[in-house]
Amino acid sequence: MREQTIFLRLGPFTAALTTPFDKVVEELRRLYPANFFQHQSDFADFHVQLLPGKGMRRHLRPQARFLIDGQEHFKPLPADQALPLVEWGLNYAIAGLAHNYLIVHAAAVEKNGRVAILPGAPGAGKSTLAAGLIHRGWRLLSDELALIRRHDGKVVPLARPVNLKNQSIDLMRRFAPSAVFSTPAHDTVKGTVALMRAPEASLARIDESAPPGWIVFPQWRQGAPARLDNFSRPAGLVEIAHNSMNYSLHGEAGFELLAGIFAKSGCYRFTYGDLNEAASAMNALAAA
Amino acid sequence: MNAPETSPQSPSEADRAWRVSGQARWRLWEDEAVIYNGRSGDTHHLADFAAWVFGFLSRGPASEAGLTRAAETQIELTSGKAPGDAIARTLDLLRRLDLIERAA
Repeated sequence: MREQTIFLRLGPFTAALTTPFDKVVEELRRLYPANFFQHQSDFADFHVQLLPGKGMRRHLRPQARFLIDGQEHFKPLPADQALPLVEWGLNYAIAGLAHNYLIVHAAAVEKNGRVAILPGAPGAGKSTLAAGLIHRGWRLLSDELALIRRHDGKVVPLARPVNLKNQSIDLMRRFAPSAVFSTPAHDTVKGTVALMRAPEASLARIDESAPPGWIVFPQWRQGAPARLDNFSRPAGLVEIAHNSMNYSLHGEAGFELLAGIFAKSGCYRFTYGDLNEAASAMNALAAA
Repeated sequence: MNAPETSPQSPSEADRAWRVSGQARWRLWEDEAVIYNGRSGDTHHLADFAAWVFGFLSRGPASEAGLTRAAETQIELTSGKAPGDAIARTLDLLRRLDLIERAA
């Protein structure tokens, strides 16, 4: 297997990925636009490697390993999960190193110049909601990590592929028939996962940050009508702090940053069971 | 017969003033408060009565007695009881959270 190094733009960052997994590189070229790749670069924020398993195991059950700056932070995964391993590994690298931003475990989508930050635990439905909204007039900034700039509180785009799981994959294939998906990986710790390329309109505006306008805590519930309920700002601030990767590192500055955002943003809980209804409700919020 | 001399009366505990801790940062929204404790790094959400007590102290030091007098005119507790005990318990809670301290 011939090793190659690609330089991939991830929003404001550049990652140098070295790997002999040709098929993973092919998939990445489908999921990211051509101008996000560079053949060489003088600088990379993250140096990562996707390598085969070691020892006799690599002949019996091929594995993939992900390293950041030569350090292995994850257990090896089956080689057919190499693509999601790369995406999860890059999330880990950003969340662990990019402390010039306040990083929240949240999706972030923008409409009319303002960002809806969608925090939530795994399974709450934030990625599915974001995936739906970006095909109904919203711009993707991120599906997993909202990067909030410290000096002005604006959200900085990553516009990386959206991580979808299990039934959300087929749901999105029906909701957005023209969307580009990776080959699904089965039997991962999250079930079946697939990555959905961000729409071209989102990718074209990768350099446009935007201020938060709403903090919306989504919860998908089967059959539930779309419903936005006002949520306490103090409670929302505490909850978003808990959903932050590095709030504690920012200390008082982090609190002041979030307090300023909440002072200028609506704060809601959002229950939804149908993406069309959800999009209508969120569009009405953006138009208000 | 002269009245016996007595030493100046020390202020009772209820008359000693409390204030918001110097390392606390906060925002007040209606009847809630969110407070960052710079010493512990914890962020707290207070609602209802605790938020009222903290909000009162955020405007300046006050004693337990002063808070009780203010509460008697401004607050109606759902229990229907006088606010004195609730004030004492809430001050103790806020002190243990390191959000308030004795004023000098």
